[in-house]
Amino acid sequence: MSDFVEQCRGEWKRLGVPDPLAEEMAADLASDLTEAEAEGVSAEELLGSSVFDPSSFAASWASERGIVPVPPGRGNARRRPLVLVAFTTVAAIALIVSALLLATGQPKLTLATSRTTPAGTSRSVVHSVSAAAPVEWILLVLAIVALGFAAWLWASSGRSRSPTAPA
Amino acid sequence: MRRMVSESRRSQLLRGVLDLCLLAVMDEGPAYGYEMTKRLRERGLSIVGEGSIYPLLGRLERDGLVETYRAASNGGPPRKYYRPSSAGRLALALGVSEWRAARDAVDAVLAPVKVEVA
Repeated sequence: MSDFVEQCRGEWKRLGVPDPLAEEMAADLASDLTEAEAEGVSAEELLGSSVFDPSSFAASWASERGIVPVPPGRGNARRRPLVLVAFTTVAAIALIVSALLLATGQPKLTLATSRTTPAGTSRSVVHSVSAAAPVEWILLVLAIVALGFAAWLWASSGRSRSPTAPA
Repeated sequence: MRRMVSESRRSQLLRGVLDLCLLAVMDEGPAYGYEMTKRLRERGLSIVGEGSIYPLLGRLERDGLVETYRAASNGGPPRKYYRPSSAGRLALALGVSEWRAARDAVDAVLAPVKVEVA
């Protein structure tokens, strides 16, 4: 079990927990584990599933004590929904705009083609207007792909939000 | 499968009251971490699967609900003892009241259910 305590100590050092506090927590943990072992109580009975993840355990303990601000990853997890909402909104707007452009035919995006005459000096520009300009189709396809990606991100985000330490 | 579902539900139920249980056992007398685990286990409350009590003790300490001091334990190394602060005792009293109200309401709903476990 000293391995577990050492791994916790390493995690506290990495997180910047002040040495006296890290030593205090490590000493308390080591004493409890030693006493439990002497009484035939397994580390898992004392620590629960945390025994398999010393880094998370150490980070959670330090965070709950208010020694370190937030365990790595939690901040990102909080920001992620906002980024996802923004991304999904932009993709949805792109989809609606492109669909409206294609459906109404207004306004038209103009494709310009330049052609040089054999004479060489004069140039005529031909504007062609199509009912469904490629740019609008590209925007539509990109929006659909983006929405699909956003849906996948939402699903992944929901799966990764599972309960861990006691509340 | 049934056992997994049962353990998951038990884990979720305990998660909301484990802080109250800790405050209650340390209110009986100051205790260090492992000692609290033993007191809980003596009452049939094993924390296996519920995670560790240490982060929870850290939170109680941060929130000012417990007071701590270091003292030797039966000739062993000095341990960190926890006891409820006055705010902790108030939180315990309020929490117990809320728990009993919730328990009674749930009991009222579940009482008529006939349970047959194969």
